[in-house]
Amino acid sequence: MSKRYALLPCNGLDKTAGCISREIALKVEERSESEIICPVFFRVAEAKYRQSTQDRPLVVIDGCQTRCASKLAAEKNLKIAEKITVTEEAKKRGQQIGASLRLGSNELALAEAIAQQLLAEESKKEKEVKRAGEEVVAFPEKYEYEIYTKDKFIFRVPKGEQFFFNENDCWAYVIGHRARVGVTDFVQQSLSDIMFFTPPTIGAEVEQFGELGNIESGKAVFEIVSPVSGKVVAVNDELVSSPERINDNPYEKGWIAELELTNFENDRELLLDFKSYFNILKRKVDSFHV
Amino acid sequence: MSEDTFMGVPREKIDWSPRIDYSKCNYCMECVKFCPHQVFEVREHEEKKLIVKNPQNCIVFCRACSKTCGPDALSFPDKGEVTRKIKELREEMK
Repeated sequence: MSKRYALLPCNGLDKTAGCISREIALKVEERSESEIICPVFFRVAEAKYRQSTQDRPLVVIDGCQTRCASKLAAEKNLKIAEKITVTEEAKKRGQQIGASLRLGSNELALAEAIAQQLLAEESKKEKEVKRAGEEVVAFPEKYEYEIYTKDKFIFRVPKGEQFFFNENDCWAYVIGHRARVGVTDFVQQSLSDIMFFTPPTIGAEVEQFGELGNIESGKAVFEIVSPVSGKVVAVNDELVSSPERINDNPYEKGWIAELELTNFENDRELLLDFKSYFNILKRKVDSFHV
Repeated sequence: MSEDTFMGVPREKIDWSPRIDYSKCNYCMECVKFCPHQVFEVREHEEKKLIVKNPQNCIVFCRACSKTCGPDALSFPDKGEVTRKIKELREEMK
């Protein structure tokens, strides 16, 4: 079935990666029933694109990490279905982007490869979680919290001996050789409205303090710093279509991923229990304007 | 405010802070605007208009500033090596 995306490229005219974003949008538009949103016109005449942004899944194409298109989507309260950052895609593919604003054969080939990926990609909702053959571990549906409040902000930290934290505001709840991992209220309050979740890859081996995906708001991109080492065996797919669940509750509905632990005894040395993390959180909150 | 220690190890003993690749940096100062810990300092009248002034203010394992960098000019040490070093330092402190 032909894709019907609303395509929002950053269209950064003074950077090669920005020019590539435009080329990708053109290529996808030509070969599907998608519609391009001009970021410049969108700012001054939002109504022109209202229908398109409401009816179609939005694909944001940023040239670089300045994330102009993502920030525009956040400003306009749009839900992002898919997100591409050209410089990241180039890195993944081991390709160099030239300095000229006129696209050469390398840049055009990169644009073509990314466009093909977008045209081929199943929508994330259609994707199934690859859990085949995995044992299912039942994690609690509710946790008990200790609460710390500052002004209108409420910070909950879950209690219990099975909870472990790192100083990077991520938690792990450990049952046997399995851990469920997520971020704490400090992260979601600092980021405010979370609009995009980049999940880790199922099957990937992650070291302690390694990257376990990213979450992103209009303010910043937060790298999820894994408290434990292990193999990713499940991700919370609900977050792909509803990343705001992390704001609602980053512990219960907003968990990030599950890992098969590979070296937990060793990892423990650099983990905090509830009491130690709660003290650190209080210090952070007191010395920080969220 | 930054912490003085990380997992009990004095912060100054942990080598974790951004490195600026001056051949890529375009001095857009997005990283300066972003970082709440005053890791960077702007030097308007010098050739290098941006420096890492307070590396010890940098939160260990945080790489958020590099994710604001359009020209990809910021990099960080290897996390695995830093983790090993922290464990060694903790061992020495016992």
